Amino acid sequence: MAGPTTDVTTAAAADDPAIGLRAIRALRELADRLETLQVGNARGRGWSWQQIADALGVTRQAVHKKHARGRKDD
Amino acid sequence: MFERFTQEARRVVVVAQEEARELRAEQIEPVHLLLALTGDPGRGGAVLRSCGLDHAAVRSAATRAGGPLDADALAAVGIDLERVRAAAEAAFGPGALDPSRPEPSGHIPFADGSKRALEESLRALLRRGRRRGGAIDSGHVLLGVLAVADPLVGRVLLDQEVSPGTLEEKLGDSSAA
Repeated sequence: MAGPTTDVTTAAAADDPAIGLRAIRALRELADRLETLQVGNARGRGWSWQQIADALGVTRQAVHKKHARGRKDD
Repeated sequence: MFERFTQEARRVVVVAQEEARELRAEQIEPVHLLLALTGDPGRGGAVLRSCGLDHAAVRSAATRAGGPLDADALAAVGIDLERVRAAAEAAFGPGALDPSRPEPSGHIPFADGSKRALEESLRALLRRGRRRGGAIDSGHVLLGVLAVADPLVGRVLLDQEVSPGTLEEKLGDSSAA
């Protein structure tokens, strides 16, 4: 993953705030989408909200509020 | 608002709305005007294409750098979005990382940047024209889009290695700075 090209682009990003900040925003979005997938999968396999919350390191209320809406198994 | 626009310039505005709809955008952004301009038969489109900015090139640059998952920015911090997407799809099926949003139906509003771009296209006409009764053509629309310095349009141009100044010059509007 860390080929020469990656090193160059990473170095370029390090001192360009515009790119760095855009990357942060994209990372948050990416994390949100992956979280939705993973939480859905966990629920599908019968995980409780408490188990999911523990794995994510957040409260049960937080994870329930964020993900329960729109899910039939709530 | 569009009474001073030529037929081709009106067409650009109509196509921009279709571009926005296809890209599931909530508003018509300046980049959608730029996309529409790439297919314009008039001088705006001709200047873009002469610089290598065709529809496919602009659309690919816009989706790469414009979406909420900005692949270019992620690459700059060492994350290969395509690999993440491939992993997500391997586990959860095609399109897993890209939840489908419904295509917006009905009227799509102009973003502020696009409103300003259209105002700037009138200004571009007035700056050039001593003739009364001149009309805003697709070249003026392109000048308007360039004038508002939209960040995404800027990144698309940068990606395609085209400077706004070159486009302005080709449109005979090097005074626009």
